[in-house]
Amino acid sequence: MVSTVAVEKPSTADELARRLHDAASQKLAVVPVGGGRASGMGGAPERLDVELHTTRLDRVIEHSQADMVVSVEAGITLEALQHELAKSAQFLPLDPFSSPGHTIGGLLATGWTGPLRLRFGSPRDFLIGIRVALPDGTLASGGGRVVKNVSGYDMMKLHYGALGSLGVIVAASFKVFPKPLRDVTVSSEGGWDAADQALTMPVAPSALEIFSDGRVLARYTGSGDAVDRVVRDLGWPVEDHSIWERHSGRAPARWARIAAPRSALRGLVEGLPRGAGWWASPGIGVAHWAIASDTPSVKEVRARTETAGGSLVMMAAPDDFMRDVGAWGTPPPTIDIMRRLKHAFDPDHVLNPGRFVV
Amino acid sequence: MGLPNQVAEELRRIVGRAAVIDSANDLRIFERDGSIEGAMPDAVVLASTTEHVAGVIKVAAKHKIPVVPRGAGTGLSGGAVTIRGGIALQVTRMRRILNIDPVAQTAIVEPGVVNQELSLVAAQQGLFYAPDPSSQKACTIGGNAAENSGGPHCLYYGVTTNHVLGMEIVLADGSVHWVSGDAPDRVGLDLCGVLVGSEGTLCAITKIKVRLLRIPPSIATMLAAFPSIETASQAVSAVIGHGIVPAALEMMDNVTVGAVEAHYHAGYPTDAGAVLLVEVDGTADTTRELTAAIGKILTENHGYAMREAQTPAERELLWAGRKGAIGALGRIKPNYYLHDGVVPRSRLPQVLSAVGEIGEHYKLPVANVFHAGDGNLHPNILFDMRDRDVMQQVESAGEEMLRAVVEMGGALSGEHGIGLEKSAFMPWIYSEDDLGAMHRVKDVFDPNGILNPGKIFPDPSRKAVHLAGRTGMAIEAKWW
Repeated sequence: MVSTVAVEKPSTADELARRLHDAASQKLAVVPVGGGRASGMGGAPERLDVELHTTRLDRVIEHSQADMVVSVEAGITLEALQHELAKSAQFLPLDPFSSPGHTIGGLLATGWTGPLRLRFGSPRDFLIGIRVALPDGTLASGGGRVVKNVSGYDMMKLHYGALGSLGVIVAASFKVFPKPLRDVTVSSEGGWDAADQALTMPVAPSALEIFSDGRVLARYTGSGDAVDRVVRDLGWPVEDHSIWERHSGRAPARWARIAAPRSALRGLVEGLPRGAGWWASPGIGVAHWAIASDTPSVKEVRARTETAGGSLVMMAAPDDFMRDVGAWGTPPPTIDIMRRLKHAFDPDHVLNPGRFVV
Repeated sequence: MGLPNQVAEELRRIVGRAAVIDSANDLRIFERDGSIEGAMPDAVVLASTTEHVAGVIKVAAKHKIPVVPRGAGTGLSGGAVTIRGGIALQVTRMRRILNIDPVAQTAIVEPGVVNQELSLVAAQQGLFYAPDPSSQKACTIGGNAAENSGGPHCLYYGVTTNHVLGMEIVLADGSVHWVSGDAPDRVGLDLCGVLVGSEGTLCAITKIKVRLLRIPPSIATMLAAFPSIETASQAVSAVIGHGIVPAALEMMDNVTVGAVEAHYHAGYPTDAGAVLLVEVDGTADTTRELTAAIGKILTENHGYAMREAQTPAERELLWAGRKGAIGALGRIKPNYYLHDGVVPRSRLPQVLSAVGEIGEHYKLPVANVFHAGDGNLHPNILFDMRDRDVMQQVESAGEEMLRAVVEMGGALSGEHGIGLEKSAFMPWIYSEDDLGAMHRVKDVFDPNGILNPGKIFPDPSRKAVHLAGRTGMAIEAKWW
């Protein structure tokens, strides 16, 4: 066994694929690393021989403003990409927590999202092409650079949220969006009732967050008249936009993501231990819990969440806490199919061993 | 050919005697889908339940017989054609809407439910199902999920995969599973996402849970004429460049407009080089503001004869013209061959001019009617199958058009699927390694290759052989 961890920082996709293949052919365990902002996710690696960093793959490969399509290398940070897109009044509607510093590859691998998902969906919906290095040293692409494409299997869905268990994402193409004509954020102290009110107005908010102290933030984007009218009708005070930047900076040392059918979310959140700190996107069905209680209470919340058809996934926690609670919870009933896919792409189980469910 | 008697008997025991069709005359009905290729199944099985589907696939697995799930057969890429014979597994008897949950805004349907029927039923709750292929009066949700179908309104709302929340599937060994479901961010790999659009090559679909959307309170539909395809394309880019993503943004060229107007009398300007159909929805404020903004942009980009539908009936008529356009083309020639390549939107004028030149070269009329906002072309090559030797010309013209699409950075299919007709072209856009990765997925789900064999992946042995046979077959069958 190798006792020290080798740190590889390849500067091209080809080089990354070679390094991955080198490691795989010696059956060395490889952990892909992007910005490290989501590195707390998943179980502790069973083995770790090589850290394969994508951070030097940080180029914008092509941004076609007219087509509203951008292709980037996986190691570019979300902020660097947004900066590039902003030059032509475009953006990627992705505002993950634990920002800044996420890489695009890391966000795709972990499936981390943020409040804007309410209006724009997740990268699952706007990722249009992907390039992945596989343990056999090949680079395999799927999708393309067009916004609508059913040419072959949807390999984007295969790798999105797979935590690098099937391959290392080296490049991605996205459909991007025009900056909205109007973008206004309002707030209320009215708790769930206020959240429901905002969610059922004729104009749906693009983001709606509720916090454990009863505060609600609603963001409206779109045509000027419609946004102005809904803001007027709600009558809530307008907030400065910087509030979203502060919000996406949240990254508790010990936290979990509760994802559930929307109708079940409120009950689950209200069942958190008394005084718990949390924030939720009720329109999406996702809540984040900054855990201040012990592991049995987390297990109890997870059991209730799973009964409701959802999941509780640990986002970060100290090792012993993570080990006790388990990163993912009950494996899905289709785990056998997932394992077969894992085996087809990574037969020696060198990628992120022990971290994901497969 | 036919199935061995013993296999047919096994199938009859599962679905009942009357639900297995294997007489040559009856099978002929299932020879084709909406594409130009055909092949006879050895048997058709009319499944009514998930258990039927699972049982039939178990039999097929045991005997290693191809099985091809089939909905309404409206697909345009040969996805439902039993090119290697075997069993056509017809699911149109599975047509119950099992549940509509107005609070969660979801529906669970069987695969044979017709697309438009779901929206009509959901409308009673103020909801609709967004993906709207032009064949929505006939095509099924199961077929839509298998093909990841699109439609005009997918520009804003997204294609089928964005609306499927979960599915009950039957794998190649006959086992039944649910993939995904209501909750977001599910643990594990996104099997549902991989299976949607897999064209029946990875699983059969027996239930689909879909997202429904609230019917927008206000919808505005506009029509504008343009002197040329180029100016209309420019206008499309200008609208989207202004930060406006309409619900739908469709283009029809002069040939199409002529046929549509003659058929529907929808008031389309027949002198125009191209016509844009633009729809926006939302609150009354939104549609009013966007309509004004779009009208201004279209005018600045040489749009004229602009009009907005004043009544729901008028809106319906404008859409009937668009969605019925391909049928109306029958006024020009009895047959059409339709590709659906996608290009980056800014390349539309170039690719359309290449399409026009290819049509002229082969002396084949071409009618364009397509999802301009997505860059998703629909060149219809018009022909008469009874003309000897025309098939080869049509085929070559189609291939050249796709070649032009790919050379402009595009993809082979935006919403119809690869199926049979484009499988040979897959190496144009994917390397051996790319296809190899897809094949690993195929092998995991269907190690014996019984599910819809001969689709998506290039089959070097097939094309030449089949082409010759097809021309003869179509003429012999006097299909038209």
